Amino acid sequence: MKLPPITKTYGSRGVLDLPALELEDGVIHAVIGANGSGKSTLARILAGVLVPDGGAVPRTGRVGYMPQRSYPFRMSVLRNLRLTGAGRDRAMAQLEAFGLAGLARQNAKGLSGGEAARLALARLLMEEYSLLILDEPTAAMDVAATLLAEELLLQYQARTGCTVILVTHSLTQARRLAGQVLFLRDGHLAERGEAGELLRHPRCAETRAFLDFYAL
Amino acid sequence: MALASSVIALAAGVPLGVLLGSYSGRSKRALVVINRTLMGLPPVVVGLVCYMLFSGVGPLRHLRLLYTVTGMVIAQVILLIPLITGSLEAHVSTVAPDIRETALGLGLSRTRILLLLLNESQYQLVSAYLLGLGRAFAEVGAVSMVGGAIAYKTNVMTTAIMNYTNMGAFTTALALGIILLAISLVLNAGVALLHWRLER
Repeated sequence: MKLPPITKTYGSRGVLDLPALELEDGVIHAVIGANGSGKSTLARILAGVLVPDGGAVPRTGRVGYMPQRSYPFRMSVLRNLRLTGAGRDRAMAQLEAFGLAGLARQNAKGLSGGEAARLALARLLMEEYSLLILDEPTAAMDVAATLLAEELLLQYQARTGCTVILVTHSLTQARRLAGQVLFLRDGHLAERGEAGELLRHPRCAETRAFLDFYAL
Repeated sequence: MALASSVIALAAGVPLGVLLGSYSGRSKRALVVINRTLMGLPPVVVGLVCYMLFSGVGPLRHLRLLYTVTGMVIAQVILLIPLITGSLEAHVSTVAPDIRETALGLGLSRTRILLLLLNESQYQLVSAYLLGLGRAFAEVGAVSMVGGAIAYKTNVMTTAIMNYTNMGAFTTALALGIILLAISLVLNAGVALLHWRLER
């Protein structure tokens, strides 16, 4: 999957300035970097909800996107999962897998932050996409829920073969899930490479400083 | 009359409020300022304009709406639409970005997104309607100018209170005032009850 150069500015402030990129099909790409490095902006642009300076990025195939603040709609948890037209049985099976079956009839507005995040991921993974973009999908989850979500994401990715953009603050999560890592700093691509290699032996001093800071 | 004008204003104000709230174009601020200005429209000004339009020398005189209930309803609808639009706009503006982004991420259509926005605004819908109804019940300036407070035809509680006060019948005027206040209390209690049920 080829991406054109992407720039985004708000007034005179540039928030993203990336060169043309090629993403490996069927691979999970973790996007890491400090706050304000442009990770979410990149995710929103690729998802088509934010238009970069040069016009919308051409989309190939179906794109699924889970924003940082994914919204639990004011309806039952089960109905949330059926929004895209899925049948009741399939939706119930998905809730079962995500450990939410007991909450199927409850209004999604009453869920805790972690449950709402699980619902958002479960709802998104009801459909198949060629590109899946997840913006900090497990930030609100506890350890057990995070590991479950990661396992289900890996299963989904193996089943559908989709390309995944995973914005995350968790370097251990990037190590567990990603095949490729893109490290952003101040809106620029500081370094990219194979996940195991980049996280163990970063070439760029900025990446090394970032990894040292998080004591990986 | 208050029921008719509030229902008509709701039918017009809700779509306008949802569209304005979910709109993120450059002219949004200007449109919001215009609507907020209209929210403060003095009823007597609306009454005056309607009077001039419907009176014997007005451009709409052939409709024969002066001193009719229909004319009063039109004046009230003009007053209420900005109120309902503004009430919905304020709520939708706060939830629309997250709803829109989540729904687009799921590949939902624009129509579906608008329906979801309406669904998320259930409480505000009822609240906006009751706000409009309360205003319609309490309004006096426009309806007295357009309706003329004709007994058994266009005289409503607020204009009756004004007439009784002018006649010195303060007890009757006060009794009508208390009834209006009681209606307002019931409406507000209804909103509070609904809010409580929706939050459960």
